Amino acid sequence: MREISFRDALREAMTDEMRRDERVFLIGEEVAEYDGAYKVSKGMLAQFGPKRVIDTPISESGFAGLGIGAAMMGLRPIVEFMSWSFSLVAADPILNNAPKMLYMSGGQFGCPIVFRGNDGAGGQLGSTHSWCVESLYANVPGLKIIIPSTPYSAKGLLTQAIQDDDPVFCLESERMLALTGDVPEESYTIPIGSADIVRPGSDCTIVSFGRPVHFCLEAAEALAKEGIDCEVIDGRSIKPLDIETFSASVRKTNYCVVVDQSWAFASVGSEVAAELHRLCFDDLDNHVHRVHSDEVPAPYAQNLEQEMLPNARKICEAVRSATYNA
Amino acid sequence: MNQIDPTTESRCETEAVPLPPTEVLLEWLRDMMLIREFEVRSMQAYQNRLAGGFLHVYNGQEAVAVGTIAAVNPDDPVITAYRDHGHALARGMKPEVGMAELFGRIGGCAKGKGGSMHFFDAEHHMYGGHGIVGAQVPLGAGLAFATKYRDEVIDGGASSHVTLCFMGDGAINQGAVHEAMNLAAVLELPVIFIVENNLYAMGTAVERCTAAGSHLIERARGYGMNAACLEGMDVLDVYRGMKPLVDRCRETSRPCWVDMRCYRFKGHSMSDPRKYRTHEEEEQWEDRDPIERLAAWLVDRDLLTGEAFKRLGKEIRSEIRQAVKWAEASPPPGMEELYHDVYAERWGPYTGTSMPEFLQRRRNDQEASGA
Amino acid sequence: MTIDITMPRLSDTMEKGTVIKWHVGPGDEVTAGDVIADIETDKATMEMQSFDDGILSSIVVDEGVSVDIGTVLAVLAEEGEEVAATPASAGSEPIAAATEPPATDEPHRITPVARRLAEQYGVDVATLRGSGPSGRVIKRDVLAAAKTTDEVRAAVPPSAQRESPPEVTPTPVPVPAASIPATRVDPAPQALAHNDRRAPVTSMRQTIARRLVESKQEIPHYQVSMVFAMDAMMAMRQQLNVELADQGVKLSVNDLLVRACAVAMHRNPLMNASWDEDAIVYHGDVNIGIAVALPEDRGGGLVVPVIHAANTKSLRVISAEARVLSEKARTRGLSIEEMEGATFTISNLGMFGVDAFTAIINPPNSAILAVGASIQKPVVREGELAVGWEMNATLSNDHRVVDGATAARYLATLKELIEHPAAILV
Repeated sequence: MREISFRDALREAMTDEMRRDERVFLIGEEVAEYDGAYKVSKGMLAQFGPKRVIDTPISESGFAGLGIGAAMMGLRPIVEFMSWSFSLVAADPILNNAPKMLYMSGGQFGCPIVFRGNDGAGGQLGSTHSWCVESLYANVPGLKIIIPSTPYSAKGLLTQAIQDDDPVFCLESERMLALTGDVPEESYTIPIGSADIVRPGSDCTIVSFGRPVHFCLEAAEALAKEGIDCEVIDGRSIKPLDIETFSASVRKTNYCVVVDQSWAFASVGSEVAAELHRLCFDDLDNHVHRVHSDEVPAPYAQNLEQEMLPNARKICEAVRSATYNA
Repeated sequence: MNQIDPTTESRCETEAVPLPPTEVLLEWLRDMMLIREFEVRSMQAYQNRLAGGFLHVYNGQEAVAVGTIAAVNPDDPVITAYRDHGHALARGMKPEVGMAELFGRIGGCAKGKGGSMHFFDAEHHMYGGHGIVGAQVPLGAGLAFATKYRDEVIDGGASSHVTLCFMGDGAINQGAVHEAMNLAAVLELPVIFIVENNLYAMGTAVERCTAAGSHLIERARGYGMNAACLEGMDVLDVYRGMKPLVDRCRETSRPCWVDMRCYRFKGHSMSDPRKYRTHEEEEQWEDRDPIERLAAWLVDRDLLTGEAFKRLGKEIRSEIRQAVKWAEASPPPGMEELYHDVYAERWGPYTGTSMPEFLQRRRNDQEASGA
Repeated sequence: MTIDITMPRLSDTMEKGTVIKWHVGPGDEVTAGDVIADIETDKATMEMQSFDDGILSSIVVDEGVSVDIGTVLAVLAEEGEEVAATPASAGSEPIAAATEPPATDEPHRITPVARRLAEQYGVDVATLRGSGPSGRVIKRDVLAAAKTTDEVRAAVPPSAQRESPPEVTPTPVPVPAASIPATRVDPAPQALAHNDRRAPVTSMRQTIARRLVESKQEIPHYQVSMVFAMDAMMAMRQQLNVELADQGVKLSVNDLLVRACAVAMHRNPLMNASWDEDAIVYHGDVNIGIAVALPEDRGGGLVVPVIHAANTKSLRVISAEARVLSEKARTRGLSIEEMEGATFTISNLGMFGVDAFTAIINPPNSAILAVGASIQKPVVREGELAVGWEMNATLSNDHRVVDGATAARYLATLKELIEHPAAILV
């Protein structure tokens, strides 16, 4: 199989779907003439023309709402946020309109829309640009959240998201766009809400989402040398959450660490922990441990930022503690 | 007394636009009277606790919804804010379906899940009914984007639809509205933004909250947009003002903006004591009641008799009474509706989606008549 | 106003107590200071005094029942008050011995999966010591026990066997031995022959068991023995007892030994010490503990009352104190103060005819003297065969504190004092 980058995989998903379905279009800041602020949409303007690859003013609330209006009428917009950090100014349309339209209209108007962009710390961007929005947005019913960690899942999940009849938030990472991996040339989908066991193991389950999955794999290698055999699960979706796969693993290992790059309070991590405590109560030998970003604004200084985010060291410590090996 | 006098504003030349035949004018009268009666009975139902939540009635502004919607095609999308009953009824929503929605019943336009502020009717291209001030305006731009996209990209033709996007004068200070206006202008979207300028943003007079409040069209001109100020208390004026704007918008696929001068006879909502304005002001505006005005215009021209007008009123009262009865008889939504329509897909507790009863019924009727 | 009499906190480590005996019954008049019950704590059986005058209205907790500190044991009605038939504390049901057997176990903390596995493999969690935080029983504790139990069960008919523990390693990783407490796995409870009896251990018995196991496991014991000629001491004892009989003085051999040990200690201060991890504590006072066996009807067991500053006390004082303490220990129970602070212990089994034995050190002491009986036997005195009194004593020492030569020197001093006892009189 050929290896391509994460950004190429995202682009393939979009171009495949735009070729397949005329209702699909891409809109956002710098997606057309500039070839994408992060080159995800590189070449798409040339391929599809300005009516389907549309530059917008820096106006997130406006173009997010515009996309929702278009989706109400049955189009399938892909709305790119240069960063999910900028989606906060579009909170009303993406949280109040997109996920509720179907319900409030009594089933008359759905909202088949994809919002996508970079999520999480990009690397010394300071706090306003380093949002991990997953926990914030996962609280809202009516939307779906995908968070790929590999080029393969990026293409499969985004393709599924564009085909999906419900609003889907696709959380990417600036830090992973250049990551390469095996990706089939043909179009394929990965069901939203299906996790992937990326490293089987027997001693402790580590559940994570998005970029931190790679830190978990790093930690698992280090822990293997200590004799702790970790099972690493890439959640891939946050909403719906593949809690069945997580709980099946925890029933086997009896220990679990959840690694979630958002802040701990009322987070994806706390949701996973609560659900595992409910579903695996009689299978747990310790409470579910959690690794999150520290509850501080993301700092600029490199050393502080590294310490603030989940990293392999923190994950190792959590696994040792969870398995009574601290 | 509010000092803004709409008659002194610059106005479009409207006399040149021909009026539709008398039957259509009588339909407009009927539509306005239906809206008025619907709102009167909504208020009564609210006070009888049949309707809950917030209730924002449209009394006094009937000419705006009826006149503007008369100026567009039936498949041109319409979207508005929370004072939405008039637009839905003008668009053709059955009053019992609206009333059932107010009562939170399964027969309502949104199966009782939207309420007064969220009237949707897919069949009549009525895209809501939106509760957050100004939030519907970017959506309206999106509807215009979508019609244009469909016409041009999918159907391979020219843009041939116009979207009517209503908002109150209170909405024009929302950021989203300005973003939408800019987007519509930059992307050349066929949308008409209609500011129903009833002089008060809830209880705050326009000049107290809006810079250059007496010259709202300057805002649109700032975005390079065609703009007009229209008299909103006379349905004929509204229609004749709107028609050329609509035609031009359809032709050029460029946005347009209307400062529609009108007056809200009732308060912002049912709990509004209207302390911010005088009785004299209200009476002065009530003298310009759009229903009386059209009826008088028709009577003057012998197109309507006083007796026929009375009969029409009686007929409409009876129709709305029937609507209230029908709505009362409609059961509350079953508990299964709680998890219905959250996601189109079925998963977890979610049970997919389906059309409300009135749409299914209408589709069945259409199939029956077609066969 | 009725007054609730609650389970008192009678030692610093006490969390629960057992009413061993009620000395009063409902309707009895109680005066402040009266001993109304005997309470067994984790350390000893103690007297419980009343703080108030009144009539005992009711007994809430029966003899033999163990309850938490603060639990209402009985209700006292003040003078002139109706004697209530039921306890004053609302909702407190009388706790009857029949329905509530003495709970002697600490509450077990156990993880959910460990609890489930224990049930699955038939492991009695009460027998496990948890290796998790705060003694929490975790999965590996149960699996280790299940493995042991499984081996024990090898002979059991297949129908009685349960599912075998899994082949997986019971613990994720081998853990450095120092980082987890040793997991003690008890075999399954022994099968009882038809006339055998299983007696639940009292909290005192548990304390004895725990402390002596700790002592024997942690302290590097060694023993040094010596034979003492007792003729001079026996003669002096007899003489003093005759002379001081009208003053109520009745010295025992043990009293003389306490004094002799204390004086010898004073002369060999290196012996009067305790191991304290990073330091050795040398005590100023010589506090001699005397092991006292308790009668079976008080639950049996062993307590160690202490003669404080015995090196500064005369024989007469020592004798009086020892008599009062051992009497109190056997009948009513000792206070905490009366059992605390020993720096050296004497265990004397001479009265049972034992001629020699070794004893386990009573921490934090560094030594204990195991004393046998004084026996008349053929002896060699100044090169001639004679009949003399001899006594064997064995000193157990903590080698971390006391070296062999130190112990030997101490015994030599003791021998000097015993065989020339006038020195202990001053």
